[in-house]
Amino acid sequence: MRPLTLGRLLGYCAILAAILFVVVVIALKLGAVPVSLYGLGRDLLRVLFRQTSQLSSEYQLIIFDIRLPRILLGIFVGASLAVAGASFQALLRNPLADPYVLGVASGAAVGAIIALIVEPHLALAPAVAALLTPVGAFLGAGLTVTAVYFLGLREGQIDSSTLLLAGIISASFLQAIIMFFMSTLTGGNYRGIAFWMMGELQTPPPHSVSLTLRVGFFLAAGIIYTTASDLNLLLAGEKEAMHLGVDVRRVRLVVYIAASLLTGLAVSVSGAIGYVGLLVPHVMRLIFGSDHRVLLPTTAFGGAIAVVVADTLARTVVSPAELPVGAMTAIAGAPLFLYLMRRRLA
Amino acid sequence: MPTRKVARKNSVAGSAIGALLLCAASWCSATQAQTQTPASGAAAAATPLYKEFVDETGRTVRVPQPVQRIISLAPSLTETVYALGLQDRLVGDTDYCDFPPDAQKKTKVGGAINPSLEEIAALRPDLVLVIKSLNRPETVHSLDSLGIPSYATDPHTVNEIISSTRRLADVLGVPEAGASVGADLEHHLAELHQRLSGVSPSRVLFIVWSDPLISVGKGTFIADALKLAGATSIVDAAQDWPQMSLEEVVRLQPDFLVFADSHSDNGRTQFDLLAERPGWRGLEAVRNRRFAVISDAVNRPAPRIVTAIEDLARQLHPDAFAAHPDEEKEKKTPPPTQQHGQQFSIHIADSPVVDIVSLEACACAL
Repeated sequence: MRPLTLGRLLGYCAILAAILFVVVVIALKLGAVPVSLYGLGRDLLRVLFRQTSQLSSEYQLIIFDIRLPRILLGIFVGASLAVAGASFQALLRNPLADPYVLGVASGAAVGAIIALIVEPHLALAPAVAALLTPVGAFLGAGLTVTAVYFLGLREGQIDSSTLLLAGIISASFLQAIIMFFMSTLTGGNYRGIAFWMMGELQTPPPHSVSLTLRVGFFLAAGIIYTTASDLNLLLAGEKEAMHLGVDVRRVRLVVYIAASLLTGLAVSVSGAIGYVGLLVPHVMRLIFGSDHRVLLPTTAFGGAIAVVVADTLARTVVSPAELPVGAMTAIAGAPLFLYLMRRRLA
Repeated sequence: MPTRKVARKNSVAGSAIGALLLCAASWCSATQAQTQTPASGAAAAATPLYKEFVDETGRTVRVPQPVQRIISLAPSLTETVYALGLQDRLVGDTDYCDFPPDAQKKTKVGGAINPSLEEIAALRPDLVLVIKSLNRPETVHSLDSLGIPSYATDPHTVNEIISSTRRLADVLGVPEAGASVGADLEHHLAELHQRLSGVSPSRVLFIVWSDPLISVGKGTFIADALKLAGATSIVDAAQDWPQMSLEEVVRLQPDFLVFADSHSDNGRTQFDLLAERPGWRGLEAVRNRRFAVISDAVNRPAPRIVTAIEDLARQLHPDAFAAHPDEEKEKKTPPPTQQHGQQFSIHIADSPVVDIVSLEACACAL
């Protein structure tokens, strides 16, 4: 294995960033409303040179108010999910781990449903009401993560298999709660939950929420990155890591909290978008190797690319209607996962 | 610098970038004199071309006047717009808007639950119509954040459907059409009420979906429509679309099963399929083949529901209609239809409720 140099890392990231840029431009062009590449390029240049007054209002609305916020949301959601997935796979030492394996998504869904139930009774200003669902989802995710953490403790320490069991059982319990709510509640506002549970990026969250997502991503991903070398050693085995001077307990706790924060933020704005957090780390590991110092940043780019591509397909294949982006990632992700699995066996 | 800007503008306007831009540009110049587009809503804050209305969910909506470009996000609202004679101003509707048939030719913006925001925005609507029971609050939030005004209705009874239609007519600037449609519907209902006076209501099971068995709760406009047709639903659930156990239905023994289908043959087939199933023979109504099939108009909170109510009343209480020999002739004619705006006809369509149910079933699968 060649030693990692900063140059090589930046080189990888530059390549992936270039791919992401191309994908974003394509995603900006495609959609229910046709936009010419020439017009798109011209408007992008105008925005770059701050001549926004010259934008045709048509493009202004479609590209800058609808598509671009959605693509940015997709980038941060995808990056968060992929980094969280890579972290959980290392933490639980389980290739099947994904950001939702510990029940975060189901907890967030319960929180979102409760927010939808109480919203009509609170008489909130529309701006506040729009915040209620993401906040409810984030609280639900946070409570679930905390509960699963304590359920997963064994002799005061995180134990991978206990944590995994606690997470999976909690998730199925919360799923049942969701079904209970959905079949007993009156009124018709819960229909969106179906789309929400499949994951979707159509509804741009309020500006404050998007900002929180971005800041939270850089914060949590940065924290995880500081443990990258420790994660490498942890993968070799817990005892080995401990002998090599890794504070296994601290690393586990830090990664657990940061990865849960990433998942909670992503899930509260987009619902549960499956397979991104599971598959992207595996693909990146195949390409760039399993050194977490490379894996974590490349995975972030990979997740962003995957979600932007999937969401572009979700809003174009049955245009003008839309598919939940989670359906898209599952359709593409499940066969890809099986392919990678068989290839590894071969 | 200013001259360069102008020059560039001209070159852009002059060059054929694409059919879309040209269309958009020509439309812009044609309408700019009349009203500001929602896209430039901020600039229009001072113009008196807006009127404020409070919609049925309590939101204050600034509606450009006159409303020239309407998008409907629900089949019932599309029907209402047609009933008010405003079909020429309807520039977009959903995939499920199939009545009147002409509504299928409108530009589609996707489904009621998952419409495409950019398709809506590209149609530059003055007003988007939504209904609280079908559309998602997220859609309304998104439209708000794009500065596209949306007006929500929320009728829960047949009377509210009528008053909601009147209010919508006011918002859309055609109060006379609303008054005449409303008066016509009220006239039909009053006449029906008179005929049914003295008739004891039939106890019915309204079947929304047969597998699993889903009926209507007491708070729905369908339950109210049943009442006006001389029927009471045996289901006393608070949920809107309760899933019923067959055991409970057998215990309650409805006099009639009621199916809503665009095709009366389909309703009959549904009944025959149910009758074959174990347990359903335990129902007296099944053994005696007592069932009614009415138009799926009953599923939509739109003016056409009154037609379905009259139809159901005729099937449940034929005596009440035969009792007046001088009106025997009327009994043979097909049920009266909405006269205003567009002549309605029987039409084959998928029920939107079925769509909702299957969606919820899809959520169950999750």
